[in-house]
Amino acid sequence: MELDKDNANPTILNPSDLPSRHRESAARKREDGGTGLFHDLIPQYNYLSDPFDHPVSASDSDDDSVEDIDEQEIYDLISSISDPEHPLSLGSLAVVNLPDIHILPPTSPYSSISTVLVEVTPTITHCSLATVIGLGVRVRLEQALPPRFRVDVRIKKGTHSTDEAVNKQLGDKERVAAALENGTLMGVLRKMLSTCE
Amino acid sequence: MPPPPEALSYTLQPLATLSPPSNSRTWQSAPHPNLPLVGTACSDRTVRVYSLTSFTLLHTITGGHKRSVRSVSWKPGVKGQSVLATGSFDASAGIWRRDERGLEEQDYTRRRIGGDGDEGEEEEDDDYQFSCILDGHESEIKSLSWSPSGQYLATCSRDKSVWIWEELEDDNFETIAVLQEHDGDVKCVAWHPEEDLLASASYDDTVRLYREDADDWVQVALLDGHKMTVWWVEFEGSWMTRKDFRAHRDGLTEEQTRHVELSERSGPRLATCSDDCTVRIWHREPKEGTGRASTNTGIPSIIRSMAVDEDWVQEVVLPQRHERAIYSVSWSQKTGMIVSAGSDGKILVYKERWKTQTPNGASVGDEDTRMVENSQLTEWVVVAELFSAHDVFEINHVCWAARSDKGRRSEDEEVILSTGDDGEVKVWVLNELNIGELKGK
Amino acid sequence: MSDIQQYLLDYDKNRKEASAVAQQSATRLQNHDLKLLTLIEELGEYLNSEDGPIRSKTMSYLAEVLALVPQKVLSTQQRNLLCDFILSRIEDSEGLGSCARALLALEELGKWDNEKVVKIMDTFLAHTHPLRQYKQQSERYPVLRLIDTIMAKYRDALRISHDSTPDFMTRFISYFDGEKDPRNLMVVFSILRVPMTEWNIGADAQELFDAVFNYFPITFRPPPDDPYGITAQDLKDRLRDCIASTSDFAPYAFPALLDKLDSTSMNTKRDVLQTIAAAVVEYGPRTVSLYSITLWDSLKFEILNVQEEDLAQEALTGLAAVARTLSQGTSGPLNAYLRPIMKECNEHLEDAPTKQSQASAQILHKIAGVSPEVSNILLAGVLPNLFLLFQTADTMAKRRGLLEVLVQLIRANIGVYGDWRSVGRAGEQAPTNALIQSRDQTLEVMLHGLENAPTKEVSFRLVCLDGLLQLTKARQLLSDDDIGRIIQVFHAIIIHEDPHGKDEVKEAAINGLVEIAHQKPQVVVDKAFPAFMAQLPDVDVDQSNDYITALEAFAKLGSEEDIFDTVILRLKNKFSSAVKQGSSSTYIVALLSAILYALKKGAAKLEQTADVSPYYQDIVLPLLQRASSSDDSHPKAFDDETTLDLVGRICNIIIRPQSIKEQNDVAAELHTLFRDAPLTDFPPFYTESTPEQNKLMIVSTHLLSSLRKDTTLPCGVQPLILALVVYSQRSDLSSTVRAASLRQISLLINKFIPTPILKTCMNPLLNSPVDLFVPEKLDPLRIRIIFACLKGLLLRNSTSLTTLYPQLLSFLSHSQYGITVAHGFAGLLQPDDLLTKQNHCQISGLHKQKTFTLLVPNIVQAFRDASPESKPNYLIALSGVLKWMPFEIVVEEVGQLVPLLLQSLDLKGEDLVTEAAIGTLTSILQERPKTIEEHAGSLISRLLANSTTGGKETPGPPPKVRVEALRCLTQVPEKLKQEVVLPYRRQVCKRLTKALDDRKREVRWQAVRCRTKWLDVDEVGDDD
Repeated sequence: MELDKDNANPTILNPSDLPSRHRESAARKREDGGTGLFHDLIPQYNYLSDPFDHPVSASDSDDDSVEDIDEQEIYDLISSISDPEHPLSLGSLAVVNLPDIHILPPTSPYSSISTVLVEVTPTITHCSLATVIGLGVRVRLEQALPPRFRVDVRIKKGTHSTDEAVNKQLGDKERVAAALENGTLMGVLRKMLSTCE
Repeated sequence: MPPPPEALSYTLQPLATLSPPSNSRTWQSAPHPNLPLVGTACSDRTVRVYSLTSFTLLHTITGGHKRSVRSVSWKPGVKGQSVLATGSFDASAGIWRRDERGLEEQDYTRRRIGGDGDEGEEEEDDDYQFSCILDGHESEIKSLSWSPSGQYLATCSRDKSVWIWEELEDDNFETIAVLQEHDGDVKCVAWHPEEDLLASASYDDTVRLYREDADDWVQVALLDGHKMTVWWVEFEGSWMTRKDFRAHRDGLTEEQTRHVELSERSGPRLATCSDDCTVRIWHREPKEGTGRASTNTGIPSIIRSMAVDEDWVQEVVLPQRHERAIYSVSWSQKTGMIVSAGSDGKILVYKERWKTQTPNGASVGDEDTRMVENSQLTEWVVVAELFSAHDVFEINHVCWAARSDKGRRSEDEEVILSTGDDGEVKVWVLNELNIGELKGK
Repeated sequence: MSDIQQYLLDYDKNRKEASAVAQQSATRLQNHDLKLLTLIEELGEYLNSEDGPIRSKTMSYLAEVLALVPQKVLSTQQRNLLCDFILSRIEDSEGLGSCARALLALEELGKWDNEKVVKIMDTFLAHTHPLRQYKQQSERYPVLRLIDTIMAKYRDALRISHDSTPDFMTRFISYFDGEKDPRNLMVVFSILRVPMTEWNIGADAQELFDAVFNYFPITFRPPPDDPYGITAQDLKDRLRDCIASTSDFAPYAFPALLDKLDSTSMNTKRDVLQTIAAAVVEYGPRTVSLYSITLWDSLKFEILNVQEEDLAQEALTGLAAVARTLSQGTSGPLNAYLRPIMKECNEHLEDAPTKQSQASAQILHKIAGVSPEVSNILLAGVLPNLFLLFQTADTMAKRRGLLEVLVQLIRANIGVYGDWRSVGRAGEQAPTNALIQSRDQTLEVMLHGLENAPTKEVSFRLVCLDGLLQLTKARQLLSDDDIGRIIQVFHAIIIHEDPHGKDEVKEAAINGLVEIAHQKPQVVVDKAFPAFMAQLPDVDVDQSNDYITALEAFAKLGSEEDIFDTVILRLKNKFSSAVKQGSSSTYIVALLSAILYALKKGAAKLEQTADVSPYYQDIVLPLLQRASSSDDSHPKAFDDETTLDLVGRICNIIIRPQSIKEQNDVAAELHTLFRDAPLTDFPPFYTESTPEQNKLMIVSTHLLSSLRKDTTLPCGVQPLILALVVYSQRSDLSSTVRAASLRQISLLINKFIPTPILKTCMNPLLNSPVDLFVPEKLDPLRIRIIFACLKGLLLRNSTSLTTLYPQLLSFLSHSQYGITVAHGFAGLLQPDDLLTKQNHCQISGLHKQKTFTLLVPNIVQAFRDASPESKPNYLIALSGVLKWMPFEIVVEEVGQLVPLLLQSLDLKGEDLVTEAAIGTLTSILQERPKTIEEHAGSLISRLLANSTTGGKETPGPPPKVRVEALRCLTQVPEKLKQEVVLPYRRQVCKRLTKALDDRKREVRWQAVRCRTKWLDVDEVGDDD
C-alpha cells in the first residue's frame, strides 16, 4: 500500500488542458482554418511527380527560417518528467507550469549566454522530494539545452517550507555534478526522466 | 570580440589551448611550483598533465579515483621528483609521484606519442606512480592544498569538515586536525604563504581561518560578508608591498607611506569570491605594539604569548562586473594583479593603484571603478575584461603561471590559465595597451 | 517356458518384447489356448518370490494382459475372482501401481456393483493410506486414476459409504495428503471436486477446503521438455474450481483469500482476485451476501490505490461479480452491498478530480454494467449528490472530474440497455431505465457546459461532448428533438468556433456527428445537413474560404454508410450550381476534393453495390463533358492540371468497379473523351495538339488506370504505346502531362499486353525503330521512357528484366547521363498510386525480391570496378533501389552493402540519397546490428557529420537529413554492444550539443532524444 507517500492523492490536470504549441501536429495547419483533411487525397508519391525533376536536394526551402528555443519548448522538455512518487508527469501534476518558465536573453551584446529560469511548484509545501524534482528538471535541461543556456531551477516562492535551502542546493553546480555521479540518486533520476520523449 | 567601450589598459590575448582538450568538464588547474607543467583535474576521473612549453598533453593520470577529480595540488619544495595530491568526489585523496631528475633537459613534444594521449595510453615507467590514498572524508573532497613548507596537506569536503594531514615520512600521513566549524560544504582551502595559517571557504557563506594553538588547531577568525556560497579563497603573495605598485616609495605622501607600513605589518591579504557575484579583499588588523615578527628575519614565527584570535576585516569589494557566480579568483605573485572568472564565462583582471595617482582622474569613481570604501587610499580598477573566454561555457578556475614557451618576453612574464566546462584549459597573455592605443578607441 | 517367465526375462531388456508376450497371453486367453486359472497359477511362484521387483513385474504382467484382453473373454465370475485376487495383493508394498492398472482394466471389462466398489476403496484406504508413502509417481498415478474413475462412474457408492461411515471422509481426504507431482495433483483436484460439489460435506468442509487450499497459491514451472504438457495455468484453474466449488467453503475461503491479498507478490494477488471472482459466482447470493461488505472493503484498495493496472481490473471484475451474484437474489442484500460503495464513491467525488475520484468512476462504471437493477440503484444513489456537487463546484477541474463519473455511468447504462441499433445485455423486457428520470438534468448540464464554457477549458468541454454523444446513443432515451439540439451544438462548434490548441473539441464534434449518424441517420440528415449546406455558398463571391471547415466535416459524414448517398448527392448539386454560377477555382477544387474524399470513404460501399451506374451517369459523364468541352460549360478551374487530376481520380474510383461491358463505353472514349471526333484529332496521336488538349491526357491516364485488362481499347496496344513514346518526347509538354503520358505507357505494358505476345510487343521499343537501349541515343526524355517501361514490366515480374536490367546498369557509367539514370532508380519501386491491384494491374508478390536479386549484387560488384567519377552514380542508384525495399529482402546482402551505404553518407548535394542511405542503415541497425559493429566508428562519425549544419558558406544537410541522421544515431547505443559504443560516448555527447542548438525545432527534439540515449551509456561499476 502506498499510504506512506507525502501526498497520496494529488490533483491531476487533464492532458488536454496542458499548454501545447498551437497546432504542433501541424504540417496540417492551414490559413483557411481547415484541418487539411483533403491533403492526403493525392498520395505523397503520386504519378505526376517526376523523379527526375526532383530537386537534387531534399532541402526544405524554409531551412533558414529559424525556430528559436522558447518557453513552450522548455515546457515540453520538462513537463513529461514523471514525479518520483506518482506515475504522473510533472506537467499533469502542475509542478511545472508554462507561466513559471522564463528565458532571459544575453545581458550584453558581447555575451551569447541566455538564462532559463524555471520555478517549480511542489505538490505540497512539505514535499520531501522537492529537491529531487528540482534536480530532475535541472538535469533534464542541462542535458537537453545547448550550453549557451544557463539553467536556474527554483522552488516557487511560498510554495515550500524550506524553499530557500532547496534553491541554494539546486543552484550549486558542484553539488549537482556530484549528484550525477551518485549511482543510487542517478537511478531515481533515470526513472523520472525515462518518461521523457 | 571587441572589448567593451571602457578605458581598459590591458587586453587578454589567447596564446594557446592545451591540447588535446578533455572530452568532459575540467575543474581546476595547478601550475607546477618549479617545472613548466600544469595539472588539470577532470570530471572523467583523470588528471591531465600538460607542458607549458609545448602546450601539449604529457601524462594522463588514471585509475586512482572512482569519481570526478575535483582538485589537484603540487607539493612545494621537493627535489628530484614531483608529488601531486588529487582530491576526488569519491571522498578520497590520492598522492602521486614521478621521478623528475634531469627533466629540465626533456623536450616534451617528443614524448607525445600517438596523437590524443587518452586513457591508459602511456604505460612508460616514468609515468606518475600512485603512492598512497588518504581516506577519511565522508563525502566529496572539493579542494586540497599543500602548506608552503610542504609539511601539511589540507583537504575539505561536503561533509562540512576540513582535515589537516601531516606527512611523517614518505607516504605515511597522519591526520593532525579535523576542523568542523562550517555549517555547510567546505568549498576551498588555502594556506598563508608565510605562516601555518589555513583559510577555508564554505557553502555556509563564511570564510574561516585556523592555526595551531598549543598543538591543537583552532579557528582564529571568522569572515562573514559574502551573501552567498564562497567558492574560492586565496592569499596574497609574500611581501607584495615590495613588488607591486607600492614598491617604489619616493614621492609617497605621509599616509601612503603609513599605509604601506601597516600592510607590511599585517602581511599578505586574502581574496575571496562568491555566488553573490563579488570579489572581496580582506586584511588582518596588525596587533598593537608588535612589529611583524618576520620583518627582520623573514622567517615566519608566531608570538605564542598573544591570544591566537586574529582580527580580519573586509578591505574592499572589487568592481562588480560578473553577472553570475564567481568560481575562482587569483593573485599574481609578481604584479599583485587579480584575475577572476566564473559562470558568466568572463575573465576579469583587476589592478590596484594609488587613488590620487590615477593617470586618468576622470575614471575615478566612475561606474566601472567605483570604490566600495572611499576611505581607502588605494583603489582597484578593471584593467582587462574578456567575454566568452571559453565560448559559451562556464569557467571553473583561473590562475597565474610563469610563462615558459619560446615566445616568452621577459624572465618573470606570467600567463593566465583558465579551466572550463568545455574541457579546455586556455593560456592567455596580458598585453599592455600603450596610451596611443587607448586614444585610438 | 511360460509366458510369465518370458515376460520377466524381456521386461528389463526390452519392454516392447515384454508387452508382446502379454499380448500373446491375452490372445491365448481369448482363443482358450490358455486357461485363466493356469495363468494365475503360473504367477504364483513369482508372486511369492523374495525379490520385490519380481513380484511387482509379475503384477505388471497381469495388468498388461488384462488390459489387452477383449470384452466378453472373461466371465463375471472370473472377473470377480480376479478382482479379489488383485485386492489381496494390495497389502504387498510392491506393485501397487500395477494392481491399480489391473483393476482399471477389469473395470473396463465389466461394471462393478456398489459393494465391490466400496470394498476396493476401503482396501486401498486400509492398506495404502497415506498414498504419499509410495515414492514412485508411477506407482501413485494409476491409483489416483482408479479412484478418479470410481468417482466418475460410481459416485453414489462412495457417497453412501461417506454418509454411512463417519470417518470415511477424513480418511479419504488425508489419503491424498502431501501429493506434489503436478500430473497427480491434476487428478487429485478433480477427484476431490466431486464430494465438494455433490456431497453433503457439512462437518468435513474445513478439512476438505484445507486439503486443497494448502496448495494456494500454486506455483509450478513445467520442465523445458515437459511431455505431459501440464501448465501452471491448468493447475491454477483446477485449484480455483475446487475452491469455488461449494458455498460451504465460504467461511474459510474468504478470510484465507483476503489474508493472502496482502501478499507482496503480484502473482499471488492476481491469483487471489481471480479466485475470489470465481468463488463469488459459484457460492450464490445467500452466501455471498454475508461477505459482500468485507469483500468490498478489501478489494477497493486495489482500485483506489492502484499498484498494477491489471490487478485493479481483476478487483473490479470481483466487485462486479459480487453485484451480479447478489442481483440474482433478493433486493435487500444487493442494496446492502451497494450502499457503502455509493457512500465511498460519493465521498471521493467531493474532491474530484483525483486519482481516487477517477477510480470511483471506474468502480461505478464496472458495477453499473452488471444489470439494470444495479445500474438503476447506482444512478439513484449517485446522481443527486453528483449534481449537487456540480452546482457548488468551485473549479472547472472539479466539474470535469464529476462529469467524467457521470459519463462512465451513462456508458455502463448503454451496455445494459443497449443503443438505438441493438438491444443491450438486459434484453427487451428490461425494467424501465432510471436514467430517464435524470435525463433532462443530465442533458442540460452538459449542453450548458459545452456551449458556455470558455474554449480554453478543453478537457471539460471534451467530457461534456462525450457525455452528450453517449446520451444520443442510449437506447430510447432521448427524443429526436433532443438529439437534434445536440447535433446543432456540435455543428455550431464545428462551424463557428475559432481554432484553439489542437482543436480537439472540433475534431471530437465532427467524429461525434459521424457516430450519431450511425445511430440516427435521418435526424442527422434533417438537422445537420441543412445547416452545413447553408455554410456552403452556391457561389463564393467574396473569395472568402470559411466554407472549408463545413465542407470537411460534411465530407467526413460520407464515411457513415446510411447517409453516404445523400452526402454525395448534396455535394454534387453544390458542385454543379457552383460551376453554373462561375465560382472561383479554389471553391470548385474544394468541392471536388470533398466529393473525392467522400467517395474514398464510401469506396467499400461502391465495391459492393452491384450497380454504380447512377454515380457514373450523375458524376462521371458530366465531369468528363465539362472537362473536355470548350464552350462555357467548361469552368475556368478545369484548365488547371491539379483540378483535372482530381476529376480523373473521381472518375477512376467510380469506374473501377464497373463490369467490362460498362467499362468498354469509357475505354472507347479513352482519349476522345466523348468529343465526337476521330482519335487522330487528339493526343497522343495528334502531333499539333494544343496545351488544352494535352492537359486532358491527365484525365485519360486515370480512365486508363481504372479499366479492367480485358476491356477493348480504342486502338491496338502497340500503336498506342508507340504513339505515346513519340508524344512523351515532345518538348512542349508540361512535366505533369509528360508524366501522365509516361504513366500511360507503364499501364499499357503492365495491364494490356498478355505475356505470350509481350516480347513481340516490346520489340519495336527495345530495337529499331525506337532503340531505347542504344547508348548513343540516350537522353533525359528517353531515360524517362525506359523507366516507364521498366515500371510496367517489373510489377508483373516479366522475364525480360533479366536482359533489360543489365543494360540499364551499364548506363550508370555513361559519361553524360549516368547520373540521370542513377536518379531514375529511386522511381523503380517507389509506391505508385495508379499501378495498383485495385486498378486491375498485374502486381507480382515477388517483384521487389526479383528486382533486388537482379540489381543489387551487380551494383555492388560494378561499384568496385567503377571509375572514381562514376562511383557516385552507383551509390545513388543503390540507395534508390534500397529506399523502397522491404528489409527482409535487403538483409540477404547486408554484409557487403554497409560499406557502400556508409560512403553514400559522404555524397555532397545528394541529400535524398543520403537520407535514403541513412534510412537503410537504420533498419540494418535494428535488424542486424552485428553487421555494423565493425563499422561503428565510421558510422558514428558520418552520422554526426550529417546531423549538424555547416557554417555560412557550407550549408550542410537539410533538416530532414539531420533528423534522420540523429534518429539513426539514437539507435546506435541501443543496438550495439556497450563495449563497442562506450569509447565514443563522451565525444558523441559533446558534439551533439551543437545539434541541440539547431535552427529547427524538430532537429533539436531528435538531438535531445539521441543525446539522452548516449548519456545513459554508462561506465560500468561506478555505482556504490
